[in-house]
Amino acid sequence: MIDVKNLSKSFGNHLVLDNLSQHIYPGEKVVVLGPSGSGKSTFLRCLNLLETPTSGTITFDGTDITDPKCDIDQVRQHMGMVFQHFNLFPNMTIRKNITLAPVRTRRMSQQEADDTATQLLRRVGLEEKADAYPNQLSGGQKQRIAIVRALAMRPKVMLFDEPTSALDPEMVGEVLDVMRQLADEGMTMVVVTHEMGFAREVGSRVLFMDGGHILEENKPQEFFANPKHPRTIEFLSKVL
Amino acid sequence: MLHGLINWLDKLGPRFYTAFMEADRWKLYLQGLGRTLEMTLVALVMGVILGVVVAVVRAAHDQQRAGRRKNPLLAILNFICKIYTTVIRGTPMMVQLLIWTFVIFPSIRDKILVGIIGLGINSGAYVAEIVRGGLMSVDGGQMEAGRSLGLGYLDTMRFIVVPQAFKNILPSLGNELITLFKDTSLVQAIGGMELVYYASTIGGRTFDYMPPYIGIAVMYLCIVVVLTWLQGKLERRLRQSDRR
Repeated sequence: MIDVKNLSKSFGNHLVLDNLSQHIYPGEKVVVLGPSGSGKSTFLRCLNLLETPTSGTITFDGTDITDPKCDIDQVRQHMGMVFQHFNLFPNMTIRKNITLAPVRTRRMSQQEADDTATQLLRRVGLEEKADAYPNQLSGGQKQRIAIVRALAMRPKVMLFDEPTSALDPEMVGEVLDVMRQLADEGMTMVVVTHEMGFAREVGSRVLFMDGGHILEENKPQEFFANPKHPRTIEFLSKVL
Repeated sequence: MLHGLINWLDKLGPRFYTAFMEADRWKLYLQGLGRTLEMTLVALVMGVILGVVVAVVRAAHDQQRAGRRKNPLLAILNFICKIYTTVIRGTPMMVQLLIWTFVIFPSIRDKILVGIIGLGINSGAYVAEIVRGGLMSVDGGQMEAGRSLGLGYLDTMRFIVVPQAFKNILPSLGNELITLFKDTSLVQAIGGMELVYYASTIGGRTFDYMPPYIGIAVMYLCIVVVLTWLQGKLERRLRQSDRR
């Protein structure tokens, strides 16, 4: 579904991603782990071109999205993204936050989008917040709305960039529950996170990154039970 | 000494009477004030339109996708905008007005019109920087979130970034209005018939400059105080919606 070939990214002289190649298959739940500064967020952000790769190609559903002629807006309509800091639009209601993109990109009429919003909000238990503004919500609620906002576009893949890192510990659970539910429904997901429990339970494959390289990749059970790379062993001994 | 003071105070009333009431001179002040306000408003509208265009060009240029070939048209526009703001902000308002009047438009008789052009174009350069600052003050995550949903650059600007920037821009725009209002007095120097022009004419005719000049200073002050008050009210209202 997403094919990454020889992806490199540098900021100035600082090489953040060093010649990565990966393939993400439909239905997979890929969890990317690693210490901060390892390039995992940059990797994720390259997948929908929020960061422009320095070199390499990324193909999504057969379209080379690194081609300058590619209409990236069109491609992004099929890739949902959830940010660490939610990035809800504070100047509009929750309903408007959710329906703006589907309506403006002509994927739905306002009526359809409103119905989709109601339906999705019910699913995450925030139906009554439709007419509230983002500032009136707690962090966990905001992040659930952010997930709903991305889902309203009916994406083929969801990218999560440390979705629980900015939350109070109490609220992490409610967001992970929504993500778990999404995973159960078969959504293709790429998740950058520090939640080891989530990685173990929900992930179908774990990538461990450090220094711009993918040092190890494995099924979660194997990965946590028998880490092979010395850096992975060191990392896991510190976080578990 | 004391006698002199009493004498001075004694004549104060008649002097002001001569400057304002005699021969219905107050009508001239009102006429001048009208022109001053008119110039301020038209120049402000011009400045805001120019400023927004320049700011959007500059912001769009700076936010182009790295790596992709730069849009050459945008590069040229950006260059022109940069020269515009540099020249206007780097030269005195007075010198600009003189150049508009005597170098660029020597044939235009209506000096108020020339004044409006000069003030509007001057104001545009400052508004551009205000608007650009406002756009940059919006968290970068907002643009990213909009774009990640598949919205285009212009849609994201229009629905997400600009409405949020507006709140940050309004107070500075109020200050620009006040500056512009006071700067209209410079138009007197190129022969524009506004408030200062009438005050100095009356001063010359009555051989007494103190009452008209003090009088118009009070008028300017009153209007600025009112504008400041309105600005504060507006800001308070905007801040309230933040706490919604």
